[in-house]
Amino acid sequence: MIIDSHTHVDKFGWYDPPETIIRLMDEAGIDKSVIMTYGDAPDVEGSLEYTAEAVEKYPDRLIGYARINPRRGDEAHRLFEKAIEEYGFKGLKLHPVGTLCHPAGPETIEIIRLASRYNAPVLFHCGDEELSLPLQVAQAAEECPEATIILGHMGGYFHWKDAIRVAEAYPNTVLDTSALPYPQAIAQAVERVGSARVLYASDGPGCDPRLEVHKVRLANLAPEDEEAVFHRSIEAILDRVTTHGDRP
Amino acid sequence: MIIDAHVYLGSSLFGYAQSLEEILTSMDRLGIDKAILAPVKPRDYHFAPMNELVAAAVKSNADRLMGLCRVDPWQAEGAVAEMRKGFDELGACGLYLDPWEEGFQANDDIVLPLVEQAGQYGKPVAINAGHARVSHPTQIWDLARRFPDVQFVACNGGQINICGLLLFEARRMIEDCPNIAIQTAGTYREDFLEEIASEVGEERVLFASRSPVYDQEFEMTRVRLAHLSDSQKDKLWGSNALAIFEA
Repeated sequence: MIIDSHTHVDKFGWYDPPETIIRLMDEAGIDKSVIMTYGDAPDVEGSLEYTAEAVEKYPDRLIGYARINPRRGDEAHRLFEKAIEEYGFKGLKLHPVGTLCHPAGPETIEIIRLASRYNAPVLFHCGDEELSLPLQVAQAAEECPEATIILGHMGGYFHWKDAIRVAEAYPNTVLDTSALPYPQAIAQAVERVGSARVLYASDGPGCDPRLEVHKVRLANLAPEDEEAVFHRSIEAILDRVTTHGDRP
Repeated sequence: MIIDAHVYLGSSLFGYAQSLEEILTSMDRLGIDKAILAPVKPRDYHFAPMNELVAAAVKSNADRLMGLCRVDPWQAEGAVAEMRKGFDELGACGLYLDPWEEGFQANDDIVLPLVEQAGQYGKPVAINAGHARVSHPTQIWDLARRFPDVQFVACNGGQINICGLLLFEARRMIEDCPNIAIQTAGTYREDFLEEIASEVGEERVLFASRSPVYDQEFEMTRVRLAHLSDSQKDKLWGSNALAIFEA
C-alpha cells in the first residue's frame, strides 16, 4: 500500500489533468494520492471545483486538499469550510511564495486555526525560497500547537537539515519527502523524528512518483518504518479529519 | 555505454568526500563504464594539487576515467595559468567552474578570460548551475551568448529551484543557446528533463550524478525511469558526453 501525500492536478496554469497523475500512480503502484492545484482559490477561479471534480471522478484513488490564499480573509475561510464540509477535502495547502503571506502572518494563522477545528493538516510548500523556509514555517507551528503542519519538500535542496531540526523541536510538524534529491535525508528524518512524522510524497506529476518511491527505498528504512512512510503515517493524520469543525 | 559525466574526487571543504577506490567500486556495482572526474575544493583552498590528483587517477584508469580541471576565477592570472596547465600537461577534458563554492557570479568579468581561453583550446566548460544568486539560468544564458563557440555544460539541469520558479528560464536558455547542454543530476522535476530531451534536443542532456553531493544510484534511476525512448536514453547515458568531452 502506498499513499502519495503531495501531488497536483491543474488546468489553469501548468496543465496536469487528473488522468496524468492516475497514469503515473499506476506505473508506480501507488494506491491513492493527495491532490491539489498549483494556484490558489479564490484567485484562480474554479480551482477548488476542479480538484473536487477530480476526486469525484476517482474517489478511490484521489484525496483533495484545498489550496487557498489566506489573504482573502472571510472568503478564504468560507471556501475552506465548503471544501471540507461539501467536497470532503482532507487538508489545506498553503504556498507562501505564491500568496506572499508569511507562514506566521495573522491571516495565515487564522486559516491554520480554522483547519485545526477540523483536525485537517496544513501542508506548506517548504523549500529554499524566502517565506517558505523551515524556520519560517516553524513560527506557525509554534503559534498553532493544535495544528498538524506538514513541511512539504522538507526544506528542499538546501534547508533539509533545518526542516529536521524544526520537526525535532515541534511535535506538531510532519515532513514530506517530495522532490528533494537526498535519500539519506529521509533516513535521517526517520531516525531523528520517527516514521510516524515522515510522509512519502512525490510532488507529481512533474516529479516522477516511481523515482520518488525508489528514493524512499534507497533510504534503507526498517520494514515497519517504510510502511509508515508509505501509508500508515498519512492515514493516521487523515483519519482524524472531521467534516463538521467540532473542535473549539 | 554509461558515462557519469560528473563525479567528484577528493575530500571537500564542504564536508563531502569520495576516494578513487570508492568511485571505481560504485561504478562497478552500478554498471557505469566511464566517469568524468571533477576535483573538490579542498580544505586548504588550493586546486593545483587536486587537479594533479584527478590527472593521476585518470592516468591510472585511462579506460574508465576522464578529468576536468577546476580553477577559482578570483585567482585571476593564476587561474588562467592553472587552467592552461590542466589542458597542456594534465590532459583535462574540460574546465569546471563552481560559482556556488567559489563565490562568484557565473557571468562576472573575472570568468571571461577563462572561458575565452578554454574556447581557444576547444574545451567545454562545465558550470555548477542553477544557484539563484550566482549561477541563475539567466547568468549562464548571458555567458553562453557571449561565447557562442564555446560548449557549456550546465549542472543540475540549469535549475534547482524546488518551487519550479526557474523552469521557464532554464528552458528558454537551452532553446536559445545551442552551445548549452545540461546534466541530469539533482534536476527539479523529471518532466523538465523529458521535455528538454524530447522537444529541444536529445543531444542536449547528459547523465551525471555529481556524486557524492547527490546519490549516484538515485541519479541513475532518474534516467532509467525517464519517459524517453531507448535511443534517446542511449544518448543521455553516454554518447552525448562523449561527443562533448572527447571532441
